[in-house]
Amino acid sequence: MKELKIPFQSTIANPPVSLPTHKKQEHSNAHSISILIGGAAGTGIMTLENILSDAFKQSGYFVFSTKEYMSRVRGGSNTTLLRISNAPINAPCWNVDLFIALDTDALSHVEERLTDDTIVLADEKVTHEQIHITNIPMLKTAKELGSANYANSYASGVLFGMFGLDRLILSQSIAKFFNEEIKQENKGAMLEGFTYGESLEMIHIPKLPEPQESLTESMHLINGSAAAGFGFLAGGCNMITSYPMSPSTGVLNFMASMSKELTLLVEQSEDEIASLNMVLGGWYGGARAMTSTSGGGFALMSEAMSLSGVSETPAVVYLAQRPGPATGLPTRTEQGDLNLAIHSGHGHFGRIILAPGDIQECIDYGYLAFELADRYQMPVIYLSDQYLADSISMMEKIDFSAYEQRRYIHTTDSSYDRYKLNETGITPRGIPGLGDGIVVSSSHEHDERGQSTESYHVRENMVNKRKQKIDLTISEAYEPSVMGQGSIALIGWGSTKCAITQVIKELDDSRLFHVHFAWVHPLNPEHLEILKNTETNIIIENNVTGQFADILKSHDLKIDHRILESNGFSFFTDLLKEKLSNIIKDLR
Amino acid sequence: MKHPLDRPDTKPAWCPGCGNFGILKLLEEVLTELDLNPKNTVIVSGIGQASKTPYYIDTHMFGGLHGRALPVATALKASNPSLNVIAEGGDGDMYGEGGNHFIHTIRRNPDIVHIVHNNMVYGLTKGQASPTSQKGFNTPVQVKGVSNEPFNPISVALALRAGFVSRVNIGNYAHAKMVLKEAFLHKGYALIDIFQPCVVFNKTNTYKWFKDNTYELESSHDSSNLTSAMIKALEYDPIPIGIFYQTESITFEEYLREDEKKALFSLTHDMQKIQEMFEEY
Repeated sequence: MKELKIPFQSTIANPPVSLPTHKKQEHSNAHSISILIGGAAGTGIMTLENILSDAFKQSGYFVFSTKEYMSRVRGGSNTTLLRISNAPINAPCWNVDLFIALDTDALSHVEERLTDDTIVLADEKVTHEQIHITNIPMLKTAKELGSANYANSYASGVLFGMFGLDRLILSQSIAKFFNEEIKQENKGAMLEGFTYGESLEMIHIPKLPEPQESLTESMHLINGSAAAGFGFLAGGCNMITSYPMSPSTGVLNFMASMSKELTLLVEQSEDEIASLNMVLGGWYGGARAMTSTSGGGFALMSEAMSLSGVSETPAVVYLAQRPGPATGLPTRTEQGDLNLAIHSGHGHFGRIILAPGDIQECIDYGYLAFELADRYQMPVIYLSDQYLADSISMMEKIDFSAYEQRRYIHTTDSSYDRYKLNETGITPRGIPGLGDGIVVSSSHEHDERGQSTESYHVRENMVNKRKQKIDLTISEAYEPSVMGQGSIALIGWGSTKCAITQVIKELDDSRLFHVHFAWVHPLNPEHLEILKNTETNIIIENNVTGQFADILKSHDLKIDHRILESNGFSFFTDLLKEKLSNIIKDLR
Repeated sequence: MKHPLDRPDTKPAWCPGCGNFGILKLLEEVLTELDLNPKNTVIVSGIGQASKTPYYIDTHMFGGLHGRALPVATALKASNPSLNVIAEGGDGDMYGEGGNHFIHTIRRNPDIVHIVHNNMVYGLTKGQASPTSQKGFNTPVQVKGVSNEPFNPISVALALRAGFVSRVNIGNYAHAKMVLKEAFLHKGYALIDIFQPCVVFNKTNTYKWFKDNTYELESSHDSSNLTSAMIKALEYDPIPIGIFYQTESITFEEYLREDEKKALFSLTHDMQKIQEMFEEY
């Protein structure tokens, strides 16, 4: 047999990879304004989000945007929030400075988020008894220019005109997102809006922060799905088999779009059961395969999770959470599936669960998911959620060559045993067609060769082998990020990271510090010591019981307060700040 | 009887007289006669008596879950198109638990051989009806006899325009061998449904019953004609065996991989390219 070179060959004897260190900038205190846009699905609200995000970024601002939308393709009432600032604020706020209502329904949908100071811009036809509206001739002008569809570009122009920003920048952004046929019309509508916006003198216009071109120029605007996807590519992903399911589909679409340029096999499976079994078939054959899904689909993968465990076949599962049970709220967000991820599958076997908290971590942990699955020959679940997947924020440029490439594939000889016992529990992983050995992988309890067995001695050895692997992952677990120091720990995992960071900045209380877990399972008790020396531990989770808090408690940590939400939204910095203030004001 | 392809130091866990012994021998002989390198051959199986086969034959194997051999085999073949990939299991495994994968694997057309041991009964779970059990068949669960219409894998595969659709009777060994060889030589998905008796739990569909109730398709049968294949597939008394239909079309891995057929393990992404894609994104 022709021996093929294994690129980047490595073994378990090498210490775990280090994540690259990324460039960090110093920032002044953030001043921001928030702009909310509301309208029906299918009216171009997402295009408007993309145009404005790009145009504000090009104007020198830090931009964060997030959306909440209904589970329908047309109609309903959806919103997109933009935060424009002079320093990164990568989390949403509840109350907004400016609201653009594209229709009347949008007004009642967001009524609770408007304050007396909120400026509401809406079409001339939109009226409301209590809310003061600044009417602008959006639809009329758009229709005069040829189509009501140009209203969004008109609105973007009003905004830029109001703020006295550069219309050329906005015009370039518009050009990026519309095709040739309607580019000119949209630019025309924008210019009309711009002129109108410049003349809007009667209203109190919120003040934009100082632009920071020198900081933002080199930065990158990206959403959590694409960032995760780039991470998976950095980890060498070359196969994805998935059944579409909100909010995970962004990753599937992203990978499919990349497959035109790379050797990357993409298949839409008939169901999630096939998805994960295909992933296992891929890894068994030497591919680096993943699937993407949400809670309901992941529930169907439980048996194959168990197969990954017993057969020691690596697997990567991108699990973008949404609120359950069952269909739940398909397009909304929650951190409700941590326990499902930890406990899915029958029998006892190791797994690693990663939950990135920001765009940079989305890439880092996407890379790491593949590295760890290969290293430990077990399933790795990458826990995201609708909020993280769909939010757009800015990140520093990164260097993809800094992600160390390793492949733990082994060229077999004729005496090869797939489950040979050794001191680590990790047997070098042979694959068919590479070397002189026979690779016997099995779902049964098996002996070292892979043959089914019912010998209780062998069973004990194999149970111990799999346990050894778990012990190894615990001892090699990546540490949580500890930001600051103090007597009150604010503990979070996954997508709450940036909201907590921002609230700590705003509260400016020297007692507060932040412990963020992106490696959420299995935990290394040594990493928790820092939380035993605190006065108060406050956990912040987007689920109803505090699933992670209970895990920390099982490690003998005290959890003094739980700030929990499960209403379909992620945490809003202003509301979280209020809740935290109420808790810490009574603390010594 | 020993065969050089037997996995050393193993002893099949089947009942004496089981039809699976014949299928094991058949597969070993066909692999040998076609000169297929066992170290470049993988059998993927599920769960059931039939799915034990790869534990006794010394090729690579992936013993997976009940009903799930086909998705594993499909992705495996795509990950390394130079491998000979076989998916093997019983009628309950492939047509019952894995029915959805059966349908969609045919639609994908991976270049794999799909061997289904069809004994019209559940063996491992001791005697319940299988999807192919005949009407009226009495079991400890179907106490009034089977009422469900028997699953016809041949007509279903034909309805999906499977590339190679065949059925054999292990009791007619020479014919079975000829057909299995053709299945291996076919480029694309190839179904071979193999009648075999379960000597313990099916006292109706015995060696004799299969012999008396099957006939080889006439040499005049045009296996390139889907309509006449379907007419044959629906015949029941007696049941035709042989190659019902054969046609070649683009395979799953050809669609995914195009001209690039190297094993994925030997390839890596160009990180410079990913860097560029990121910067342009």
